[in-house]
Amino acid sequence: MRTLLNVIFAPGFFQSSEVFNALVLGTVVAVISGVVGVFAVIRGQSFAGHALADFGATGASGAFLIGVNALWGFLSVGILGGAGMDLLGKRPRERDVATGIILSFMLGIGALFLYFTTTEKNISGAPITILFGSIFLVDARMIPIIVILGIITLLVVLFLYRPLILSSIHPDLARSRGVNVRLLSMLFMSALAMTVEQSAIVIGALLSTALLIGPAATAIRLTSSISHAIVLSVFIGLTVTWGGILLAYDSYYFPPVGRGWPVSFFVASLILVFYMLAQLYTAKNIRKKDMIAKESS
Amino acid sequence: MLQHKKKTIGVISIMGGLSLLSLTGCGSNMAAPVNPSSGSVGTTQHGVLLGVGAENEYANVMQQIGGKYLSVSAIMSDPNTDPHEYEASPQTSSMIAHANLIVQNGLGYDDFMNKLESASGNPHRKIIEVQTSLGYSNSTPNPHLWYAPSTMPRVAQLIADDLSALLPAHKAYFNHNVAIFDASLQPYDRELEHVQKEFKNAPVATTEPVCDYMLEAAGMANKTPWSFQAAIMNGIDPSPQDVNTEEQLLSNHQVDVFLYNQQVVDSLTTSLLQIAKQHHIPVVGVYETMPPNYSYQSWMQDEVIDLQKALQYHTSTQTLS
Repeated sequence: MRTLLNVIFAPGFFQSSEVFNALVLGTVVAVISGVVGVFAVIRGQSFAGHALADFGATGASGAFLIGVNALWGFLSVGILGGAGMDLLGKRPRERDVATGIILSFMLGIGALFLYFTTTEKNISGAPITILFGSIFLVDARMIPIIVILGIITLLVVLFLYRPLILSSIHPDLARSRGVNVRLLSMLFMSALAMTVEQSAIVIGALLSTALLIGPAATAIRLTSSISHAIVLSVFIGLTVTWGGILLAYDSYYFPPVGRGWPVSFFVASLILVFYMLAQLYTAKNIRKKDMIAKESS
Repeated sequence: MLQHKKKTIGVISIMGGLSLLSLTGCGSNMAAPVNPSSGSVGTTQHGVLLGVGAENEYANVMQQIGGKYLSVSAIMSDPNTDPHEYEASPQTSSMIAHANLIVQNGLGYDDFMNKLESASGNPHRKIIEVQTSLGYSNSTPNPHLWYAPSTMPRVAQLIADDLSALLPAHKAYFNHNVAIFDASLQPYDRELEHVQKEFKNAPVATTEPVCDYMLEAAGMANKTPWSFQAAIMNGIDPSPQDVNTEEQLLSNHQVDVFLYNQQVVDSLTTSLLQIAKQHHIPVVGVYETMPPNYSYQSWMQDEVIDLQKALQYHTSTQTLS
């Protein structure tokens, strides 16, 4: 029993303060991504979510350059970018193009900041940290801040829950019932920005979209009730995040021994596995229904 | 709905790929085209040869050997930047195009030199790659060869040989400079011997393998796991296990000295520095490239003296100035 536990949880897993911090952060991020992600998928804003993460990455490289914690860069530029996109994107057709163009420009600025950070200032790990996260090395002082921000994000979404569902599915109906769709959209965009930027700290700007969209999309495939989808999406998010942290810790004993593979790799892979399983499951169900329909006819 | 979902995921993955490319690819091939302009490639101006050292410590030794017949420029010389992240500028490539003698480290430390050299072909130019000349294989994990006490005397002789081939009339002058250089390294060697004799196998911790060759020569026992040093050197995150080991070394007083690379600093190394200070482990700041106002000899000598002071009197010397 003991050896089996040791195989699953490599030695030191429960004693390591790095692992503990990672689990706390991972939990916050998985929960808010799971909840906000379902709305992002329903509203068709997954590309916006990705763009927000990349905006944040530019902010984070700027933060490295002036020497403040990357979280502040992620958040400030992410929320500003979210507001900008919401203002520009009045018509859905224009929205993707506008987002794409601003995104490229922001990435260009990010490249410039990173160039200065690595050549002028002596910070060598900045690009990898920003793009792929470093959950095991987050400054412990940031953890209470991230937990509080996570709770605020969750409260905002819970507060908006009913009107948000209505305006996401039937914007015209929501408008006719007196819901302020503009305001709602802006508030949701801020919640989306907060979520994406916080998960960017954990698994990096490039992969935070995966945690936002993956569990939510998988959950939506499996159930047609929004509240069920949210619960399921949080559950999948927690499973892939905790699983990713555990695998990354254990990977210290994978070849080349003594290195440890990145958390973001494991989280992203687990998300793909879940999505594919859900696809197989639903495909089988559809086939079964087809067969039943054929036989009864 | 289903169709739409698929499309978005496709777009996301493409964007992800593009943004990755745009951020990582932005500097890797900076080997700008060189125009063989006014300068006279491969010849001398007023009888003075032009030399380029990829790192300023090699440039310094080149100057000491070449003396009045060599004008040397260094490419990597800023002690506040991480040499591993260096990107060459078009000005650098023009300097390389006009050089008569180039000294570079090799072992992937200054790969940009090879790119710039092949971009500006010059059959008369001599190139000393320290790695190949000294017979280090490509799989040598620690590239900081100039910290090995045996490296520079051999490089100095190679420089003298190449300069003598370029200016045969001054062969004696160059060889004389090599003798002076070797003699001036003796205090450094004596100090190393002293540390080795007095403090053999003293446990030390490091952030990076910068001065590992020197520590080896001084007989120190480096307790930091190699995987930790390599991760910091390459700018990637070390595993939580290694971070834990490194923190334990300092907080449990398992090491006598903490050697800290001044030029590669991030939040992790800064927090390690704090742990070392909290637990009164003496800190020695080491440099990757030669700090200002130093010669190669005085730099090495000061670092080993700082190590000796830390071992003997528990004094920290965080910066050279």
